[in-house]
Amino acid sequence: MKRNALAILVIALVVAVMIYAGVRSSRGPKTTAVIGNPEPLQPNEAKGKQAPDFSLQDLDGRPVKLSDYRGKAVLLNFWATFCGPCKEEMPWLVELQKQYGPQGLQIIGVALDDSGKDTIVKYVKQMGVNYTILQGQDSVGDAYGAIGLPATYYIDRNGKIIDSALGLVSRGEIEDNIKKSLVEDKAQTASAGAKAKS
Amino acid sequence: MIAVLESRLIPAGSPATLRTLKSFALALFLLIATIGFAADEPKLAHVYVTFEGSSAATIVPGRPTAVDLHFKVKDGFHVNSNKPKSELLIPTVLKLDLPTDLAAGGIVYPVGKDVSFPFDPSEKLNVYTGDFTVKAKLAAAHAASAGNFTVHGSLRYQACSDNACYPPRDAPVQFDVHVSSAASRAHRGNAQSPHIK
Repeated sequence: MKRNALAILVIALVVAVMIYAGVRSSRGPKTTAVIGNPEPLQPNEAKGKQAPDFSLQDLDGRPVKLSDYRGKAVLLNFWATFCGPCKEEMPWLVELQKQYGPQGLQIIGVALDDSGKDTIVKYVKQMGVNYTILQGQDSVGDAYGAIGLPATYYIDRNGKIIDSALGLVSRGEIEDNIKKSLVEDKAQTASAGAKAKS
Repeated sequence: MIAVLESRLIPAGSPATLRTLKSFALALFLLIATIGFAADEPKLAHVYVTFEGSSAATIVPGRPTAVDLHFKVKDGFHVNSNKPKSELLIPTVLKLDLPTDLAAGGIVYPVGKDVSFPFDPSEKLNVYTGDFTVKAKLAAAHAASAGNFTVHGSLRYQACSDNACYPPRDAPVQFDVHVSSAASRAHRGNAQSPHIK
């Protein structure tokens, strides 16, 4: 009797897995721009984790990988043209790119937008954006756990997320996080240099 | 495959056969339900508008009838009205998948409220908050079968809070309408005729 119950449970499991696989495959193949199939980050739990690498096209159609910026501090900002709070912080990001770019900051805006490339190009031009804008894919937002917009991730020169924020925060908070990442980067570089000498 | 395995594992005519089959069915149901629930999207935390029901609707063939569809925006959130003030903003739009006996005679959206939000106090957006009602005018053809029909559809919306916006979503809509029978058509038609004294 126990043997039968166990066998039935195994059969039920096999059938359930087959149904699950069928449901998954019926949804069609998901294209992903995320590189290396990392475990998706949970919202508000990105701090301290390695930033998932991805490859997306910029507004000229050139492929850009996050890892291309290794060695720079990256402010990764998910946004959309329909997002009012995103519009509010864009001028701040323009100023901050100007101010901290020479120290090694690169701001990357990932447009999670269905409105099409032309609309994004027009919007970005109108806002005077001076930093890199990429045409986003949902898979990248999902990999970062970006459930809302704007979603901002502060990534150090080694590709580690040192902090993140969902929604509009103050300019001061954004700037503090940029400074923190630049300082931490210097500290890490110094530590790495000392280890190499010893 | 399952049938073959079952026939080997469960002796035919065994008194335990029925009980075992029931256990199998229950285990399978629970597993599928669990998997289905886990895979179902969007998750409840990401639902910002819910369909709260419709007004009772009896449709007399040949005479369009408005059905009130009630929606609720989650506290602390707003969605763009059907006529937002910028072409960049995503309007709230109702789509209905009607049975062949029914036809849509137009959808009337409520007028949104002009509200400014903390992320840009200088600009007013036209939005829905709290409860709002969309009117769907439905008509049944003269040859329509009498009886109850279930209408399915969805409300496309894009929600924001005071400091963040969320990707567009679809709120599922489902309601029943009753198409009156030939007898009641005649009765209603006579009763409403201005020529009857």
